[in-house]
Amino acid sequence: MSDTPMDLFVGLSSVLTGVDKSMLAPPLDPINIKQTYFDYAQNKAGATFQQLLSIYQANQTLPPAQIGDIILNQSGDDIRYLARTVMLMWYLGSWYDPAELKKYNSSKPPTDPVPAAAVISSAAYTSGWSWNVAQAHPMGYSNFTYGYWSKLPPTLQDFIGGGS
Amino acid sequence: MSAAQNNSFDVVIVGAGVAGALIAKQLGLAGKKVLILESGAGLPTNINGFVDRFYTALAKVPEIPYTPNLFNPQGSANLQDPTLMNAPRPSVLTLGSNWKDPKQSYLIQDGPHAFGSTYERVAGGTMRHWLGTSLRFVPNDFCMQSQYQQEVNWPFGYPQVEPWYGEAEKEIGVSANVADQAYLGITFPPGYKYPMNPIVPSLVDDAVIQGVNGTSFQGVPLTVTNTPAGRNSQPYQSRRVCAGNTNCIPICPIQAKYDPSVTLEQALNTGNVQIWPQTVASEVIVDGNGRISQINYLQYQEPGGPQTGSGSVTAKVFVIAAHAIETPKLLLMSKNGGRTPNGVANSSSGQVGKNLMDHPLYLAWALMPKPVFGYRGPLSTSGIESTRDGSFRKQRAAFRIEIGNEGWNFPINDPYTTTVDFINGINQSGLNPIGGGQPQALFGPGLVNSLNDRLTRQFRLGFLVEQSPDSSNCITPSTDKTQVDHLGLPRPKIKYDISPYTRAGLGAAVEFADQIFDQLKAQQFTTPPAADDPSAIEVPVNGKQKRIKYFGSGHIVGTYCMGTTKSNSVVNSEQRSWDHPNLFLVGSGVFPTVATGNPTLTIAALSLWAAQTIKKDLA
Repeated sequence: MSDTPMDLFVGLSSVLTGVDKSMLAPPLDPINIKQTYFDYAQNKAGATFQQLLSIYQANQTLPPAQIGDIILNQSGDDIRYLARTVMLMWYLGSWYDPAELKKYNSSKPPTDPVPAAAVISSAAYTSGWSWNVAQAHPMGYSNFTYGYWSKLPPTLQDFIGGGS
Repeated sequence: MSAAQNNSFDVVIVGAGVAGALIAKQLGLAGKKVLILESGAGLPTNINGFVDRFYTALAKVPEIPYTPNLFNPQGSANLQDPTLMNAPRPSVLTLGSNWKDPKQSYLIQDGPHAFGSTYERVAGGTMRHWLGTSLRFVPNDFCMQSQYQQEVNWPFGYPQVEPWYGEAEKEIGVSANVADQAYLGITFPPGYKYPMNPIVPSLVDDAVIQGVNGTSFQGVPLTVTNTPAGRNSQPYQSRRVCAGNTNCIPICPIQAKYDPSVTLEQALNTGNVQIWPQTVASEVIVDGNGRISQINYLQYQEPGGPQTGSGSVTAKVFVIAAHAIETPKLLLMSKNGGRTPNGVANSSSGQVGKNLMDHPLYLAWALMPKPVFGYRGPLSTSGIESTRDGSFRKQRAAFRIEIGNEGWNFPINDPYTTTVDFINGINQSGLNPIGGGQPQALFGPGLVNSLNDRLTRQFRLGFLVEQSPDSSNCITPSTDKTQVDHLGLPRPKIKYDISPYTRAGLGAAVEFADQIFDQLKAQQFTTPPAADDPSAIEVPVNGKQKRIKYFGSGHIVGTYCMGTTKSNSVVNSEQRSWDHPNLFLVGSGVFPTVATGNPTLTIAALSLWAAQTIKKDLA
């Protein structure tokens, strides 16, 4: 099992997002959004990000549900909220600051309905997984052709990969 | 612009939106020398900058792709102060607690409620961010007073405007078919065909059709109709076929949807049309004979930079096509040293700036029992149009019902809100969990499956309610010397309320939404407005008052109405000023009523009609 930092990041991201590694980091990957996200997280949350990768590395042979539980429920708030930030980065192409996310889980959450965030890049937006999980495409970025909306979409598995 | 440029033209047009573009093209083809003064940026070489601005913005509001940037150049989330911008414009981002903050909101909102629609000041105009809906008005829209003893009549009927609808459909490139659109008295000439076949309906449409077609409510039939669209179902005007980017508003990334840049390019290609960008008309000058002799302007180079020039242009005919807020503002600003104390085109009727209208939009959203796969296709492909006319209009306003294909993007900014809910363990969407209780924070397959279940079942309905013309709803130039733009020109001050007739229509919309969701076995999630929402009003629902939120539809109408006499209207049926025979006022400001269809096709039709009249004047 390869343990390069990027391998760890992709493995961790797949466990958290539920999207297969082959979809997050396809063999032919000209956009290379994983590198964008890795660098962004490293820049924004260096030490905690490294700690998050280390926790994943130490537990990567466990079943995914167990890994997720360790990261999100047994490793403290700093790790929990950074992990959620990483998930949101993949899903929405935006950086939601972990401290902001934490505020929304407090007894006095902010009044704004959604935490403040920043879109990481155009490519990050058009790589967002929320729309794929909806069996659709990021709004304003369709690779489908005329009339596709009148037919059933490909299966969810076709979008997120993996499966039986 | 050089000092040596020619400042005299056959026609000067203020505003490079759809009305100005269509008129310029027709006059250019006829060999007339035309100048368009555009307050904002000119035509870009491509739309890549617009699209990239959309992609990288978190707030993907209708105005976001266009210039000037809504946010300050430091990249902060702070909105630009309109006082520091040369051609500022409104944004839906200033409809919250900041709605009356003049350092945030370009419009000076004087209440009692918020005016919710926005517009662009850029070559291509507000139609840059239109949906593409190209409905004809129904015949009774033109004769509300004689038919229902409500509102006012237009100075002509459907038969007179019908040929111009056909011309407009050709210019825009409308996809539809006659069989679908011949309802509620709408007629077509024998053998008429729309330029393109209809856009195919969505799976959302199919589900609504199965649930409502053939039924009625409150005596009104419910029939889903394919929406005529200014987007390509086949190649047209050298533009691509729609690929269903689900982003007509704010921008079609492949320009399969028409926007006026298409016509502006054609106008420029005649060799007879010029556009001067970043040139803001500042006063309309009247000569001693009551004719318009010139328009004065101010120029700038950068959106927040200094004024770089000023001057005047002369012409035989002048056309003001600056939309329904900037046009009356310009007319009312033009005092001619006291010779036109009530403004230009306003001495006979005093109606300039009055009767501001919109389609107040009631938004209702729900989960279907089974997936309908929204977030796919054009934003809307069908609507319920059978509710646009009937004897009920004696008592309440009518509406059309737009069926959305974009899930809950409009209602709650999804998929953002629901995604954050399920990842961060909160419940702003009402979906985590449904019915209340402790929110879950999910990951892995549980996250995927929950999001998939919720997002694929989302859909929404938008009820576009006709607003009655009320002279107290008005736009005037602010007289507060601090409420100006960077060029020192006054900003628009808006008074806005919603009449009992229109509120009754909004109340009916609530009742219809509840009924339709019941018929579809859909679970409704429409939420009440926040306590301090300036767009919240009380409406009658099932005999009781209910507080609801309305949205702007972007259909800004009625501030220089056309009519039959100089005392009751600003322009005649030719859209010619009663007071100044060589001045034409075009765009939706001439509409005496807002009617029941999205306004763009009628704006285009009337603009083409005005172009013919101007050509005759110049012959």
